[in-house]
Amino acid sequence: MANITIQNVHKAFGEVVVLEDFSAEFRDGEFVTLLGPSGCGKTTMLRMIAGFEKPTRGTIKIGDRVVTSPDTFVPPERRDIGMVFQSYAVWPHMTVYENVAYPLRIKRIDRDTIQQKVEAVLEIVHLAQYAKRIPSQLSGGQQQRVALARALVAEPQLLLLDEPLSNLDAKLRDSMRFEIKEIQKALGITVVFVTHDQIEAMTMSDRVVVIYKGIIQQVGKPSEIYRFPANQFVADFVGKINFLHAMIDGTKLLINGTDQSLAYRGPLSGSVVVGIRPENIRFDSKSNDLTGTLLSQFYLGDVNDCRIDIGGQVIRVIAEPSTFETHKEGDVVKLRVEEFTTFMDDSFDDHQKIIT
Amino acid sequence: MVKAESALATQKKYFDPKWLIMGVIIGFLVIFQVFPLLYLVVKSFFPQGSFSLSAFKRVYTYKMNWDALKTTLITASATMVFGIIIAFPLAWLVGRTNLIGKKFFRTLFVTTYMVPPYVGAMAWMRLLNPTVGTINVILMKIFHLESSPFNIYSIGGLIWVLTGFYFPYAFITISRAMEKMDPSLEEASRISGASPLKTLAKITLPLMLPSIVAAALLVFVTAGSCYGIPSIVGVPGQIHTVTTRIIDFVYIGTQEGLTDATTLAVFLMLIANIVLYVSTFPLAKKQFITVSGKSTRPNIVDLGRWRIPITLVVVIFAVIVVVIPFLTVATTSLTVNLGKPFSLENITMRYWERIFTRKAILSSAKNSVVSATLAATFGMVVTSMMAYLLVRTKAKGRKIPDFLITVGSGTPSVVIALALIMTMSGKFVINIYNTLSIMVIAYMIKYMLMGMRTVVSALSQISPSLEEAAQISGAGWFRRMKDVTFKLIAPSFVAGWFLIFMPCFYELTMSTLLYSTNTKTLGYELFTYQTYHSQQTASALATAILIMVIFVNWLLSRLTKGKFSV
Ligand SMILES: Nc1ncnc2c1ncn2[C@@H]1O[C@H](COP(=O)(O)OP(=O)(O)OP(=O)(O)O)[C@@H](O)[C@H]1O
Ligand SMILES: [Mg+2]
Repeated sequence: MANITIQNVHKAFGEVVVLEDFSAEFRDGEFVTLLGPSGCGKTTMLRMIAGFEKPTRGTIKIGDRVVTSPDTFVPPERRDIGMVFQSYAVWPHMTVYENVAYPLRIKRIDRDTIQQKVEAVLEIVHLAQYAKRIPSQLSGGQQQRVALARALVAEPQLLLLDEPLSNLDAKLRDSMRFEIKEIQKALGITVVFVTHDQIEAMTMSDRVVVIYKGIIQQVGKPSEIYRFPANQFVADFVGKINFLHAMIDGTKLLINGTDQSLAYRGPLSGSVVVGIRPENIRFDSKSNDLTGTLLSQFYLGDVNDCRIDIGGQVIRVIAEPSTFETHKEGDVVKLRVEEFTTFMDDSFDDHQKIIT
Repeated sequence: MVKAESALATQKKYFDPKWLIMGVIIGFLVIFQVFPLLYLVVKSFFPQGSFSLSAFKRVYTYKMNWDALKTTLITASATMVFGIIIAFPLAWLVGRTNLIGKKFFRTLFVTTYMVPPYVGAMAWMRLLNPTVGTINVILMKIFHLESSPFNIYSIGGLIWVLTGFYFPYAFITISRAMEKMDPSLEEASRISGASPLKTLAKITLPLMLPSIVAAALLVFVTAGSCYGIPSIVGVPGQIHTVTTRIIDFVYIGTQEGLTDATTLAVFLMLIANIVLYVSTFPLAKKQFITVSGKSTRPNIVDLGRWRIPITLVVVIFAVIVVVIPFLTVATTSLTVNLGKPFSLENITMRYWERIFTRKAILSSAKNSVVSATLAATFGMVVTSMMAYLLVRTKAKGRKIPDFLITVGSGTPSVVIALALIMTMSGKFVINIYNTLSIMVIAYMIKYMLMGMRTVVSALSQISPSLEEAAQISGAGWFRRMKDVTFKLIAPSFVAGWFLIFMPCFYELTMSTLLYSTNTKTLGYELFTYQTYHSQQTASALATAILIMVIFVNWLLSRLTKGKFSV
């Protein structure tokens, strides 16, 4: 059993508070991603699970075993965890084989079994023919797979991955993403994955934990996070989004600065922010949702990326590619809004938004 | 089952062996370094148990002591000035120009750094002795002079020998900084239209200033606390420095003598450490500006038509400061009668035979090997652990051992020896006086810094995640050290070991104060032969030591695959 329970974990380096009151439960066999911008505390959380950092207060359990609490601390070497470091940390003075065999040697497993297991895991990461090489003779991607093999070889119930794909080229990253996912499914292990790349998070995870400024913003399946973001930060960090300030008037959302409105049914009232993803807006001559003037359009092959002035506010629309032929700049277009979310207007600073 | 395990985990406190080892080492440093040095300081201000400056007053009312102090300051300052005047251009020529044979010159000047200080003194004494000095005699013949032009037994002579021996300290410091300097800073100046010489003056020199200051202060302190050279070329001409005075006072042996020695020693120690401490300021602050992470090749200045003349000047310099002294010592060791010129009839191997057969010399050599080996081995254990503490842990006060080791090495040898004599001869429980242990401890205090620096820089180049990867694989602390960290720093460990071993092997100053009939050392033996019995035997010993220094250097660069040489 390798479910992880994190209870009220708080971490400060001196005066600087990095994580505040972090509580989460990762289920056995689950692929969980910690997602957040640089410096939000992802690595710190992962290192606390591994035992390389001690929380200022709080408890961490792996399975039913308390590994960190105010009066217990199990050092990393006794936690039975596999980990891939951001820098790979492949030992330069050992061959690929020796690197991978190391965790088994520590466990005093007999030679034959070691050989069998190492060969099997090298097969999984496609490095069987490189066993005798030393790391400096390997490419970055190969070294990363050595690190992965080393983390997997002892069949840990828990695997921690700290941005393991960040240094790879796009192609290799795609294939490694797939391989990690396959391995996880095949072995049924729990994986905690750290990244600031939302695509990585969306494609691989069972659940995503979005962190910002040391605080959990939202926990959920990738689709939940995408479609029902808990706040403006999450909406903005995951995917692209247009934010429009609006007022609720009964069943109508009056968009500030324009004379347009959207139909609304929901609990909010007063001043709100409407979030509309660009791909949820369609060109539709029969629709009455929004009307605007096409300012610019860029043909990207699979989509048409447009900017549309809806009377005082400019929004981004990612439309079907065919619309590039049928419309031209300056046209008045009718738009259908398929889905949007509303947030209480918390004076979220526009400058903090990640521009995509 | 699972419940039981979790209950166990709650109760079990995981023991971490590294803290125990570190505790023991810090205890060692406190007892054998901090306590003796502090005792010395306290003793000088509280000579009879209550605060009084009377000891200082008394010591400094002696004219002889004032003279010693003045001589020390004058010779150290002059050595510093001349040392920099020589070292900076040399470092620039060797590092940044197309000087012919610059690799060779670099090795040559760096190797002289490892030569015992007294070798130069012995050579120049032979060459510039006012009555029989070889150079004096030759010059008198050529120019039909009435009296000899040079007298080595003078302040000038002292400065001459000190400079020849200590300029490599500055050369090494400045060369290293120059290697690290971002060459694009100079290139920017050249592209703006400045000539190489103008670039040197307006860009290189100002950027190098912090390291030049640091190098200068290092030369000042080491020259000021040197004993070997003034004891050989100063004392015969009644020229005393603080170090020779201290040793005289100790030899007097009376309580008063010891108090006077203490007072002088504390003065020397404080000056030395304050100067060294100050010298780290400009360096630490400015380093960011001059050093860049890029390892670009420095641009090489073409000396043009000056290339050959300048190379010739460097050759002549090398002949004067390296070749002539070493050859003199080597030929002295083969000469039967020192009063006669070096010729075939005047050659003998008997002094060489003597140093390999005489029991006293062999037993001293054995003592030196044993104590240097022990000091180097324990020294590396201590410094590795302390470097680990400094670089890899977050323990409060982890910088203190590093500081202590730095202070120890900045403290003049005479002072360390004196402090150990005063505290380790039974007055406070421990009595190791007259044993090899006291020698080993003194050597460690003085020379551990070399090991510390090498290990610290090696450790900080290894990403901590390499060790963490072993830890997450299940390896405990000893296992991690053995399999990963130690393996990776092994070349530096070996280098550090030799860097401690060599100076301990031929150490003179501390041995002079700490030896007993059974624990004489090679340095001490050489010194007594030089001063009292037979210069030829001393020269044979010195030549043997020189050969060994060169051999060890070669061995070291073989063992570490060219990564290190001294
Ligand atoms: N040892 C430390 N001492 C002081 N502050 C630290 C330390 N380690 C991390 N921090 C701070 O804690 C914050 C979170 O760091 P962390 O490494 O967890 O970020 P991260 O989310 O992994 O970022 P990235 O995506 O850039 O890797 C940062 O602001 C960082 O400066
Ligand atoms: Mg990180």
